[in-house]
Amino acid sequence: MRFTTSLATLFLGTMLAGAAPAQEAPPPSTADKGTAAGAASETMGQQLGELDAQVHGDSPAGVAAGTTVLPNGMDITPVEMVEGRWTNADGLPVPKIAEDGTTDYATFSGFRRYHAECHVCHGPDGEGSTYAPALKNTVLNMDYYDFLEIAASGKQEVNAASNQVMPAFGTNKNAWCYINDIYVYLLARGTDGIPRGRPAKKEAKSDEFTEQENSCMSM
Amino acid sequence: MKYLLNGAIAALLLGGAAAHANESVLAEVAKPEQWAIQTGDYANTRYSELDQINKGNVGDLRVAWSFSTGVLRGHEGSPLVIGDVMYVHTPFPNKVFALDLKDNGRILWRYEPQQNPEVIAVMCCDTVNRGLAYADNTILLHQADTTLVALDATTGAEKWKVKTGDPAIGETNTTTVLPVKDKVIVGVSGGEYGVRGRVTAYNLADGSEAWKAYSTGPDAEMLVDPENTTHLGKPIGPDSSLNSWEGDQWKIGGGTTWGWFSYDPDLNLMYYGTGNPSTWNPSQRPGDNKWSMTIMARDVDTGMAKWFYQMTPHDEWDFDGVNEMILTDQDVDGTPRKLLTHFDRNGLAYTLDRESGELLVAEKFDPAVNWTTGVDMDPASDTYGRPAVVAEYSTEQNGEDVNSTGICPAALGSKDQQPASYSPKTQTFYVPTNHVCMDYEPFRVAYTAGQPYVGATLSMFPAPGSHGGMGNFIAWDNVTGTIKWSIPEQFSVWSGALATAGDVVFYGTLEGYLKAVDAETGAELFKFKTSSGIIGNVMTYMHDGKQYIGILSGVGGWAGIGLAAGLTNPNDGLGAVGGYAALSDYTELGGQLTVFELPG
Repeated sequence: MRFTTSLATLFLGTMLAGAAPAQEAPPPSTADKGTAAGAASETMGQQLGELDAQVHGDSPAGVAAGTTVLPNGMDITPVEMVEGRWTNADGLPVPKIAEDGTTDYATFSGFRRYHAECHVCHGPDGEGSTYAPALKNTVLNMDYYDFLEIAASGKQEVNAASNQVMPAFGTNKNAWCYINDIYVYLLARGTDGIPRGRPAKKEAKSDEFTEQENSCMSM
Repeated sequence: MKYLLNGAIAALLLGGAAAHANESVLAEVAKPEQWAIQTGDYANTRYSELDQINKGNVGDLRVAWSFSTGVLRGHEGSPLVIGDVMYVHTPFPNKVFALDLKDNGRILWRYEPQQNPEVIAVMCCDTVNRGLAYADNTILLHQADTTLVALDATTGAEKWKVKTGDPAIGETNTTTVLPVKDKVIVGVSGGEYGVRGRVTAYNLADGSEAWKAYSTGPDAEMLVDPENTTHLGKPIGPDSSLNSWEGDQWKIGGGTTWGWFSYDPDLNLMYYGTGNPSTWNPSQRPGDNKWSMTIMARDVDTGMAKWFYQMTPHDEWDFDGVNEMILTDQDVDGTPRKLLTHFDRNGLAYTLDRESGELLVAEKFDPAVNWTTGVDMDPASDTYGRPAVVAEYSTEQNGEDVNSTGICPAALGSKDQQPASYSPKTQTFYVPTNHVCMDYEPFRVAYTAGQPYVGATLSMFPAPGSHGGMGNFIAWDNVTGTIKWSIPEQFSVWSGALATAGDVVFYGTLEGYLKAVDAETGAELFKFKTSSGIIGNVMTYMHDGKQYIGILSGVGGWAGIGLAAGLTNPNDGLGAVGGYAALSDYTELGGQLTVFELPG
């Protein structure tokens, strides 16, 4: 976790330094400061403005509308497509939402897989249920690798007040093959990049994607 | 040595107890002052002869006492009352409390099983449990991890226990058991994990297995007779299940049995329904997928099937057929008939002759239902008994990776397991329902033992063009197949109903209200907001000459998952997002029994 956070900090510092050398790089831990720093930098301001146009609805808890930097320090600006999925400058999976709301295929795939594997506990649209947390908020604060670890190994909180057990999905091809898709879908939800419900518009499924889906079938 | 000795005693007792057990349950159920079985009676009517609380005074109800279970998950089912003792159960960890009604609910004994918490991880849709059963001074608890345990009703001591399934492959338990004659019959959950459904009978005396009847597979394992087991009056023929699946898919084909059981002592038949075929992606499992989605009538002594009726061949929407079968004796066209009435998830209410399995009525009990135009009622037709599927709403015909929109009802059904009630005084059924529709997109999935095997994604929303709420509480005529009256509710009604001889019908709501309505008109007579949302079933009993109403609060279950954050209608566009009620704005987790009484 530390490793990723410092990487993101480094990256953010570099980017801001390039855009506005006179400004101090803001601490990436608070979204408010991230936005303030963006306003202080013309280039950043434009980037944030562009994202703002993609944002639908109210600001979610814990992140200001329009930010590209999560409370956990991760920059979710898509930089490069690798094997059919968008990544940020650190090579971590991120969603890419066009101005008209069209999602990349991975985000759409994540919507589908989430609602097959996760929503029976975590509720529709990453919103949480009576007993399981709202994952759209979790991913804003939790590190990507911690997310992967819990998804793979599961989690238990069993005591006098709580009987919460999350299964391990590491051996479940229907979940694990698409864990990055689920992650980017939740990022898109948590930052209000897409509204609740099925994404209205999506990029076409690439051949790479179809190939990977086929490799994940064992029947 | 000790074991052998106990075994010998059990064997000795068995001879004497065999005929006795059935009478024990029948005798206890026949006392209106008790609530001796989860379903009220073997017929599943959830009707009480008690009339001290009636439509004239129910408005004066007040809280008599309450009891916290100490568990904060979905509380389904209800307590039992036998004599001076009330038996209360909880969701996982499945605690049991025996409360002394003579001493202000003092705890006589408590039992908490040791279960591996890993089982929680393979329970689809919360850790609910639909309650205890009682027979021969024995409390029967079927735990989440599929351990069936018999407890001495007086002391809480374990008499025996037996494992009825394997959570490692996704087999769990949520439902109650059927104590009948010298046996106790159990079901299994796990349709979303590719579990092969079955009912299993154990001997009440010692927990040894008596028979097991699978929902799918070879005839011998399903306990069917190809010549004498019938479907709509005709023999089902050899290999009826194997012929309706591709290859070995029946082995992971679902047809689980997590609903309610009813029993007719005169016909010696038990009735129950089987769940969805696995996976939710219909294109991956061609065929009728028998005998998923089927009403089954079986001899309780041998398990042999007398008749089947498959309501939703080749399911395309997750319309499990597990809801309760309510047994009544009523006149149809002037002739007395032994009837079975069933409100299916698929939105159709079926009335059958429970002796022969003849289909008499199949009508929509929510006008919003649109996936079918109705059931073919012509015995001469090739498609007799089959629902006509509307192509637009067929997830099979639309295919994989296609989003079929606006299907009513949603996967949770026009009604889920929350049991209806029947009053012989009004000859009316009182039915808690969901008023929710969905978009459904199937896609390919791989099977891994012990992992979810779902294969579809869906979005749910309140039925469009209606009152905007997600539920109704309706009065139903099962002979004509018509709605008498309907009370709109903001949320799905997820609580079991209770009708009484006092001409009152009770039910709970997800906001946490216990409501009482007039059995004739549906007019609201009383409501009280309890500590948490209600998904439990209303029960009644009498102690020391006074009638009480009891209800478990504790929101959760599938309702708690789907509705906690509210639903949105993707077809309404962005403007309406968040426009529908979120359950989390009305209630919080809880676990409490509330008991009501009249003043004085």
